Amino acid sequence: MNYLMWPFLVLIRGWQKFIAPGLAPRCKYYPSCSHYTFDAIKKYNILGLLMGAWRVVRCNPFSHGGVDYVPESLKLGPIKIGAR
Amino acid sequence: MGILDPLYWVVSGVMVFIHRTLSPVFGETSGVTWTLSIMGLVLLIRTLLIPLFVKQIKSQRALTALSPEMKKIQQKYKDDRQKQSEELMKLYKTHKTNPLSSCFPILAQAPIFFALFTVLNGIGKNPPQARGTFTPELAQQAAEAKFLGAPISETFLGSGNLTTQIVTVFLIALMSLTTFTTQRQLMVKGMPKMDTSNNMMLQQQKILLYLFPIIFAVTGVNFPVGVLIYWSTTNLWTWGQQYYVIKRNPAPGSPAWEELQKKKAAKNPPVDGGNNGSVAVEEPEKPKGQRIQPKKKKKRDK
Repeated sequence: MNYLMWPFLVLIRGWQKFIAPGLAPRCKYYPSCSHYTFDAIKKYNILGLLMGAWRVVRCNPFSHGGVDYVPESLKLGPIKIGAR
Repeated sequence: MGILDPLYWVVSGVMVFIHRTLSPVFGETSGVTWTLSIMGLVLLIRTLLIPLFVKQIKSQRALTALSPEMKKIQQKYKDDRQKQSEELMKLYKTHKTNPLSSCFPILAQAPIFFALFTVLNGIGKNPPQARGTFTPELAQQAAEAKFLGAPISETFLGSGNLTTQIVTVFLIALMSLTTFTTQRQLMVKGMPKMDTSNNMMLQQQKILLYLFPIIFAVTGVNFPVGVLIYWSTTNLWTWGQQYYVIKRNPAPGSPAWEELQKKKAAKNPPVDGGNNGSVAVEEPEKPKGQRIQPKKKKKRDK
């Protein structure tokens, strides 16, 4: 993983440890947006950050939520990322 | 033109509008007028967010029908918290209802909060900077407006004024208190009992009881009095809103819900049993529950 992503991971952990417990549980998805973004960054670097942002957008008052893990591999048109 | 300029316009526009409306009542330079224009901003935003809140409450109500299934899941995956949440989320999704509010209400308020912070900070500069719809004269006026004797543009750290320091400490204490009581109210009365997981949350709550005042104190000393007023008002609103919902429309399965059922049962005792209160208390659930359940169950069997 790119070390440039470290600050984001630290921020997410900080949110989870110190801020989120003070709010009512609110995420419509499982795992929560912060958890998802953390995993996504670990797996896809900066792309994961965007995926996390998109997840937060998807988690809005009009969505029904659900179970949504970070995908094992991504397909962006002809490009495949993360496939083993 | 910066990206945030439109936000400055909105925030300052609302403030200036309320200020102009209330000036004839409290006086143009009065601190009351300026304080109310900040509070009015909160009232406006929170009123705009009410429909979302109602929507959320409605989907919570829809959960009553699902509660047997939720209990089943909680029983089945008693020891596996992850599986439990996963299954619950699946259940919500298949029934197209979700009691959770998402982060949107917070995210929607964050830019407004930031814009207000910037606008008030600008006013606090010497000479006051007029952002958005503020004219230099209005900015000057707002900079001198006082809340309980403290200029709304001053911060704890930036001012040597003892009154400002006392007022900021008071507001920070108010913020901590409202945050804590809101959380506690929800934890103790507003949430369905979930055995061990709730205990863990209560444990975290206890830590936060001490942590929040510290966080607020560290950040709050940098905030202008006006921002602290905004924050405190928003906290009070949250608390009041939640109090109302927990009293009138609690989440199914929560202690407040059980209380309400008991109260309803006591108010409308079974016709055959006469008006004896003790009879009603003995069978609190009977009058409720059978109304919605059969319908939803059919749906599930499909």
